[in-house]
Amino acid sequence: MARFAPGDRVRTRAANPQGHTRLPRYLCNRTGTIEAVHGIYPLPDERALGMALESCTKEALYTVIFEGGEVWRERAIEPLSVSADLWESYLAAERA
Amino acid sequence: MPSTHDVGGASGFGPIVREGGEPAFHHEWEARVFVLNRRLLELGFYNLDEFRFAIERLPPERYLGSTYYEKWFLAIEWLLAEKGVLP
Repeated sequence: MARFAPGDRVRTRAANPQGHTRLPRYLCNRTGTIEAVHGIYPLPDERALGMALESCTKEALYTVIFEGGEVWRERAIEPLSVSADLWESYLAAERA
Repeated sequence: MPSTHDVGGASGFGPIVREGGEPAFHHEWEARVFVLNRRLLELGFYNLDEFRFAIERLPPERYLGSTYYEKWFLAIEWLLAEKGVLP
């Protein structure tokens, strides 16, 4: 069911839609690497609207690692990385 | 439209002051708010994502001007009013 596997390169979506989401703005439009696949989980963006567990979208949840320079550009202090638990619809495949 | 809460990575908020030996709660009412939220979640009045979203939807001046558990309390109040539990 999960589209990505550990080691895959991904890019986060460029901007967040209105409403609740688990992708912080500072991680929008950034490339990272899948570190872990946690399984299928209900999409918090829909659950936040009070949608029932049975009817909401379920997607793969990943831990994605981002290098400091990718997130903070020239202000990054190396070696530094940040990881975030992100749902599949926040991510697109990035060519290695 | 970015929400007020989504400020990770932004500068200009001043230094983060670390409190040595920080207690879980600074006031007794904070523990009450913590337990109240757990109980309301358990009883299914709302789910955790609705609670998070309620905090994010606080008016900017309330969000930026409130402490951590003040935000929790305001969000609980907001959710219960929205769902018609509170008048």
